[in-house]
Amino acid sequence: MPKVQTNGNELNVGLTDKEIEQIKDELKRDPSITEWGMFDVMLSEHCSYKSSRPKLKLFEDAEKNYDYVLAGPGQDAGVIDIGDNYALAFRIESHNHPSAIEPYHGAATGIGGIIRDILCMGARPIALLDPLRFGPLKNNPHSQWLFKYVVKGIADYGNCTGIPTIGGEVEFDKSFESNCLVNVACIGLGTIEDFNHAPSRAYNPRDYIILMGGSTGRDGIHGVTFASRTLTEMSEADRPAVQIGDPFTKKLIIEATLEAIKTGHIRGLKDLGGGGLSCALSELTGDGGTGASVDMGKIFIREPGMNSFEVMLSESQERMAFIVKPEGLEEVLNVFRKFEMAHAVIGRTDDTKILKVYDGNNLVVNLPANALSDPPTIPRKEKRPDFLDDLLSQKTPKALRKLDDIIYELIASENICSKEWIYRQYDHEVGIRSVLKCGEGDSGVLRVIGTNKFISSSVGTNSKHCFLDPYNGSKGGIVEICGNVIANGAKPKAMVNCCNFGNPEIPESFWYFSESVKGMADFCREMRIPIVGGNVSFYNEDEVAKTVIKPTPVIMIVGIIEGEENIITLPFKDVGNDVLLIGDTQAELGGSEYHSIIYDMEGGTPPKVNEKKIKLIWDFLFELYEKNLVKSNHDVNKGGFIITIAEMCFKNNIGANLDLSSFKEEGLKDDELLFSESTGRFVIETSKLDYDTIMDLSRKFKISVKRIGTTQMEPLIHLKGLKTTNFTLNLKKMKQLYDSTIPNLMDK
Amino acid sequence: MSIKIAVIEFPASNCDLDALHVLNNVLNVEASLVWHNQFKEKDYDGAVLPGGFSFGDYLRAGIIAAHSPAIDEARIMLKDGRPIIGICNGFQILTEAQFLPGALLRNESLKFICKWVNLRIENNKTAFTNRMKIGDIIDIPIAHGEGRYFTDKLKELVDNDQIVFRYIDEKGIAASDANPNGSMDNIAGVCNLEGNCLGLMPHPERASESILSPKGTTHGKLIFESMIDFIKRRRK
Repeated sequence: MPKVQTNGNELNVGLTDKEIEQIKDELKRDPSITEWGMFDVMLSEHCSYKSSRPKLKLFEDAEKNYDYVLAGPGQDAGVIDIGDNYALAFRIESHNHPSAIEPYHGAATGIGGIIRDILCMGARPIALLDPLRFGPLKNNPHSQWLFKYVVKGIADYGNCTGIPTIGGEVEFDKSFESNCLVNVACIGLGTIEDFNHAPSRAYNPRDYIILMGGSTGRDGIHGVTFASRTLTEMSEADRPAVQIGDPFTKKLIIEATLEAIKTGHIRGLKDLGGGGLSCALSELTGDGGTGASVDMGKIFIREPGMNSFEVMLSESQERMAFIVKPEGLEEVLNVFRKFEMAHAVIGRTDDTKILKVYDGNNLVVNLPANALSDPPTIPRKEKRPDFLDDLLSQKTPKALRKLDDIIYELIASENICSKEWIYRQYDHEVGIRSVLKCGEGDSGVLRVIGTNKFISSSVGTNSKHCFLDPYNGSKGGIVEICGNVIANGAKPKAMVNCCNFGNPEIPESFWYFSESVKGMADFCREMRIPIVGGNVSFYNEDEVAKTVIKPTPVIMIVGIIEGEENIITLPFKDVGNDVLLIGDTQAELGGSEYHSIIYDMEGGTPPKVNEKKIKLIWDFLFELYEKNLVKSNHDVNKGGFIITIAEMCFKNNIGANLDLSSFKEEGLKDDELLFSESTGRFVIETSKLDYDTIMDLSRKFKISVKRIGTTQMEPLIHLKGLKTTNFTLNLKKMKQLYDSTIPNLMDK
Repeated sequence: MSIKIAVIEFPASNCDLDALHVLNNVLNVEASLVWHNQFKEKDYDGAVLPGGFSFGDYLRAGIIAAHSPAIDEARIMLKDGRPIIGICNGFQILTEAQFLPGALLRNESLKFICKWVNLRIENNKTAFTNRMKIGDIIDIPIAHGEGRYFTDKLKELVDNDQIVFRYIDEKGIAASDANPNGSMDNIAGVCNLEGNCLGLMPHPERASESILSPKGTTHGKLIFESMIDFIKRRRK
């Protein structure tokens, strides 16, 4: 790691030699030690996106191309106009590195950070969703420890702040064993005026800068530079770089901030997250075209003797910076006094375009504001990994076991089984908006009180598919998550993503990122889905174990449902109805749970995505919804459609009599038919009386719809029409396996 | 004259707006959000201590809020016979303030639990259950980490008819597997001797609109309706 020296002080920095030269050239002097620290943080991958920015340019400009997008990438959160004078803000972020070292506080402060991002947009946070990834739990105390405390960290923080956790995703895979992934997403709701009052910029000189919330301590110094490295044996020693969360203070910050915004005197707003004050002040002024002068002595610190380096780089949690009109200062301070929140006027903006920080009479920071907020990028090399050809050519072994045994094993597997153990620990109802609660649908559905609108949101991706084909796999992730909201009746409105990848300095890892971004960009452009924000987490590698995570571009979609009557749910409703499979099933077992669980193999041919077909399926479904023809809907993903059907049976204990003989001409083997994870498919329940109407429509939309069975009273799933065998599955046994896997691993 | 109910907001109460919404928009009374140290009992016909994590549950759930000036005001209100309901964290505050007997301990599972449960009405003479019959079953959600009811005076509570709700299974039996948190005798809610102060762990404000209920019920509303009826009758 390079060292820099100033006035006899020495500092290890994560900067490259080239960056060090560039900084000296621009300033025409040696920076102070505090300034070096600020550059180190601001130019870290985590803050500057120096590797990823050139690729992220592939995403089309959401603000320019979609009239309902109010804020796009580059802001603290994406914001869309959902009508009725409401704006919806949402964002997803990673907190992987801290959680891998200290799962409880790592996850908790991840929630804390994402809440602040939403709050910055002037919106009340109304929902959390958490996509999580760990190593397999079975016989793995380390994975169990991470899993248990990540869930507890999320629960304790989210529950206390009164924000319901309405959804999430969990995947268990060996590649996440030492690098668990903790992604956190938040949705906020506000009026259009609230949003307009809260830019994350300081546009006006002579405004006051107020710091409000928690005190500034020595915790979390250099958290972002820690997140911009791979994990090593030294990482345990980085534990002090993990911040400590305080959800009580956060709850008060939420209320105090929202009340302060209502005064109309706030002109800018920024949370202190990664990079602390350095980041917040330079972004506020640098992006706003102003400068500022800050008195370090005014900043309330947690312990005596902190120097300017520590104060500027501290990532202590629960802090917000406000830019306040001079005439409104007293009124805003009164709000903070009511909530008994610590606060201080730490400086004022000016028109110098220079950020100055004084420690007493000493000028300790004197930098052009945009020197920090507009860092250079680094072009990275990319190379397709050599091992891929071997993986893609792997063939599925001959079936070793009976198909029914395989299905029982799949439904009990960690990735497919019920996640109730997790969501029971989350308050998913506080706020009284949760209409479809955890486990009741493919997405979480919230009402917007006072309107007839409903918000549907889901998160996730398929890292196994992405590992084999990042371009199609990333598209497939969007298809699946859009499928979740569509299954509940919502039109996908916008997307954010959280790209979790390996070390960008390694060409193979960067290739995965590059292909994934290309896939997402192509898909969203074709399907007219704006990408309104995102987060990139690189360096998810463990140098000691020599493992890289599977590429994980997590997708978050928000959709809107107009009218309660248009909400569709997952469980079968009645007996004697048709069970229809929508979309093509192909021989695409590569990266399937079937391969992974039954044969412990990762290769094969993964699913491809054809946007044109997907588009037709979605249009077809909305036509069916319009005509009120769908009684229940569930999208097909992990484990294939047989798992989808079992999940639809569980809630009302309704069975299904399936006949798959109509697949005869597709030439699929039995396991391909049952377990392929071909994208864009749905299982719907419809009335027999509507069959002809539905088939006419399927021909009009030129999509594949097959009647594969009928719902029945008997709590069994009968399967016939396969090539090799007929068999019957017992719902009670399936449900028992589905429900008990995680409790058995975690509570016994 | 309209009925005025205070929803008392402590730092980090988080079901305050939910209770306010239900009282104002579902029950159509005049409810206001009152910051805890500004609460004056004389302005209201009754009060709600909402759920949440007052003062971050620091020290012990409800203990710091129990020392707020709002509690002195509440004491006067209760003495005067006006109704006060404590929901979830509000229940914890009421026991810490010793308005209600017993204590709420960490759930037996040591985990936070959020789910819908069934309650049986054990006493319909309180200010909050007069719209129901003894033995009625209501459908309502819980969401708490510290809801295990404990008392060293169980017999007294039974003798004085202070047990208002018990957790039961779908057949109406207070079985141990219907007990979500290990509460003594499946107790979900208790009242004071006068019956004008109720504490319960489940959330009636989450069960007052059919759209929020998995079974389409609105049983939580009965509790607020009873409270309003009680206020109306007191006025006569």
